[in-house]
Amino acid sequence: MNSLAKKEEVLIMIACLIFLVGISIVQLQNLGKVNFTVLLQEIGLIVSYFIVHKILRRYYPNGDPYLLPLSISLISIGLTMIYRLKPILFLQQLKWAFVGILVFAFSIYFFRKLNIFANYKYIIGLIGVLLLLSSIIFGTDIGGHRSWIIIGSFRFQPSEFAKVFIVIFLAAYLIEHKVVLGLHNDKLGPFAMPSFRFIAPLVAIWGLAMMMFLLQRDLGSALLFFYIAVLMTYIANNNLSYICIASLFFFIGSFVSYLFFDHVKVRIDIWRNPWADPNGQAYQIIQSLFAMGSGKILGTGITYGHPEFIPEVHTDFIFSAIAEELGLLGSIAIVLIYMLIIYRGFKISLMCKNEIDALIAAGISVSIALQIFTIIAGVTKFLPLTGITLPFLSYGGSSMITSFIMMGLLFALSEKRNNIA
Amino acid sequence: MHNNDIKKNISKVAVFLFSLIFILILYITYIQVVNSDELVNNPLNKRTAEYSNKIQRGSIIDRNGNKLAYSEKNDKGHFSRIYPLNEKFAHVVGYENAKLGNTGVEAVYNSYLSGTDNISSKFGAIQKLIKKNNGYDVILTLDSKLQQVAYDALGNRNGAIVVLNPKNGAILAMVSKPSFNPNLINESWADIQSNSSALLLNRATQGLYPPGSILKTMILDATLRENKVTLKDTFDCPGYLKVSNDYTLFESDKVAHGKVNLQEALTVSCNTTFATLALKLGSAKIEDTFKRFGFDKKLENEDFIESATVFPNFNELTDGDLCQVGIGQGSLLITPLRMALMTSVFANKGVIMKPHLLSEIRTFDGSIVKKYSNEKWLEVTSKENSEIISGFMESVIENGTGRNAKIPGLRVAGKTGTAENAQEGSHAWFIGFAPAEDPELVVVVIVENGGSGGKIAAPIAKNIIRSALK
Repeated sequence: MNSLAKKEEVLIMIACLIFLVGISIVQLQNLGKVNFTVLLQEIGLIVSYFIVHKILRRYYPNGDPYLLPLSISLISIGLTMIYRLKPILFLQQLKWAFVGILVFAFSIYFFRKLNIFANYKYIIGLIGVLLLLSSIIFGTDIGGHRSWIIIGSFRFQPSEFAKVFIVIFLAAYLIEHKVVLGLHNDKLGPFAMPSFRFIAPLVAIWGLAMMMFLLQRDLGSALLFFYIAVLMTYIANNNLSYICIASLFFFIGSFVSYLFFDHVKVRIDIWRNPWADPNGQAYQIIQSLFAMGSGKILGTGITYGHPEFIPEVHTDFIFSAIAEELGLLGSIAIVLIYMLIIYRGFKISLMCKNEIDALIAAGISVSIALQIFTIIAGVTKFLPLTGITLPFLSYGGSSMITSFIMMGLLFALSEKRNNIA
Repeated sequence: MHNNDIKKNISKVAVFLFSLIFILILYITYIQVVNSDELVNNPLNKRTAEYSNKIQRGSIIDRNGNKLAYSEKNDKGHFSRIYPLNEKFAHVVGYENAKLGNTGVEAVYNSYLSGTDNISSKFGAIQKLIKKNNGYDVILTLDSKLQQVAYDALGNRNGAIVVLNPKNGAILAMVSKPSFNPNLINESWADIQSNSSALLLNRATQGLYPPGSILKTMILDATLRENKVTLKDTFDCPGYLKVSNDYTLFESDKVAHGKVNLQEALTVSCNTTFATLALKLGSAKIEDTFKRFGFDKKLENEDFIESATVFPNFNELTDGDLCQVGIGQGSLLITPLRMALMTSVFANKGVIMKPHLLSEIRTFDGSIVKKYSNEKWLEVTSKENSEIISGFMESVIENGTGRNAKIPGLRVAGKTGTAENAQEGSHAWFIGFAPAEDPELVVVVIVENGGSGGKIAAPIAKNIIRSALK
């Protein structure tokens, strides 16, 4: 057994300990005893973690040893909070974690052949755009977000999956056109302007983002997709003026929608002054602030707070629940775990030999960073509230599976890097 | 070369994103640490009410163990607050209400009563180890029987009564009328708000009134201190005093008191004599006297919310204004509690003890958390002067305007006042203490627009003294 495998194993054990202890605390507090059915379910999930760990280490011994334990730590805390907040949903979320860990293993297997995917970049890009369009056009409103597709009893959020496709497509496209993109054909005032063809994907995504913003009322996803594209373009061609021009476009778009569309105006107004309507439109964000403030530094302790006052606390607002019951220490710990994942992502990206691989890994890291920034900034009223989920923590299958696909991608890239080296 | 460019840009983007997240961490810290108290105490935060439903709030108890407020679980499992004596303690005990907030003792000792001392809430989950199911009981110096006698004695008139023990400053009764029923505060809130006679105002500590003739006791003390007038000196009272060309002060009812010494002047409450004394003292000396009696000082006691004394502008007093101050009129406004403190100077050998409501705070099982220890507040005047004035005040009851407060077999000292004011009808005042040889209680009564202090306020005080010392 090599040292990476050993390291990973110990870290997974610690992450599982958080899970076992967390669930037991909630059970002892709420039921007065440990429920053995639930204990068996917990052990089932933990066993599957270790099986996946063993198999991966057998075939891909050089992969990054931190990604899986960090993800499991977040799942442990997320499942504990879901068990505490909505016990009914616990088993379902546990199943999603189980499916997620399998998806993680499979996606590593697929992504090991990533250079083949790059050849099909237009198909991948098309799938990404179709997924986004499908949610924009056929989206159904669940819990205030019109980003759900329902097929029979099966429902999912295509925009979650679209992220992965868009990142891979952008990386392949941008690197292929890198030389041309750098050629600064035109000038517009102080800004260097490339010819249209090279910023075409950027313009397309800007259009999609504006549609999401207006039709789905989903400022968060719009912001997320747009800035993934902007930052990836910047990385590929090293031209800051893209960021400036793009941001300008985005804010012009947002400002125009603020003026002409009531629902956008309402969202922004709630953000600017939630205390104007604390029991109506701004109820959720105000309750979130109360929860966070009541947590103080050490938190009330699990089950001792009242995060249930926040509507939809188990999906969008799980961070506020953690902040209340685990305090500032808990909320900062969560942010630090995400920062470690993002850090590993960028580290993997910097070690990639292939430029496309490097840009994919960077794109994934950018995506996770922007995602946690927008949602946490939203529930803390730092930015207007948005409807995106916290990877591994929030309740929901689409988010869980997409997050594991992203981890699989990063793991595959780290393994590849080590193989070549 | 291109490859290096990409890696440099990746590092830059990474640094940018980490900076964003770092700013977010600072903001989270701001909410959970700096802004925390404000969010916790926001009235819209349902946690406070939820928490108080889990803990039985402590009782408020009088000096004899009678409950003035207690919490009881109703059928729904929620605690409700019960005030068994309804309107009688409404101002001093106050009310506890999730929507309207707390007042009176309920507000001042809230952290003890609710068991949420602010220190333990900082310990997070650890505090659950030392979890309490009961708030602390607050024991007051009030005597619920005396309070009820005082409340009933005031009848359906508006006004206030303060009874305290001059030896230690313990408040025994504090009545303010009109009152309200704290048990029905939610239901009657709209009526209370729209009522024009300020039901929520604690007139005993917040009501500002002209003191009228009861202030003459203080002027007397200032005169004795200055040694300008001896006890044998006499004043001639023709029934009026021509102060200046355009101002003449008249006795009430225009009676002439003739030749009077200081004792006789107080006994009959002679306005011309005290106006003359005020002119002799001058405005600076009178201002000093107010300061000596503590009228300009805060009580440094959280038990009550007090209104500050309203003084005339001592630098700009005309002789006429000075005469008005000498007989407790003019722009001077004082609370009944402060009048009680002034009275206690003459009842307690020149010394004011700190007035207080709190006796002690106990846990549910009886161990003492906090105990009030008596404290001297001000040494106002000499024992000799206070005894002289006390003797004069006895003669007020024996042969003077305070005859209606006379109690056979008990030496009562007192002074009446009939204070003219901007509204119609003079306020009826009585200050007094008993037994005069070793005073155990000071009584102050004011009846708003009641008329003559001797006729209206003195009998009320008599009732209270008799009931307390019988």
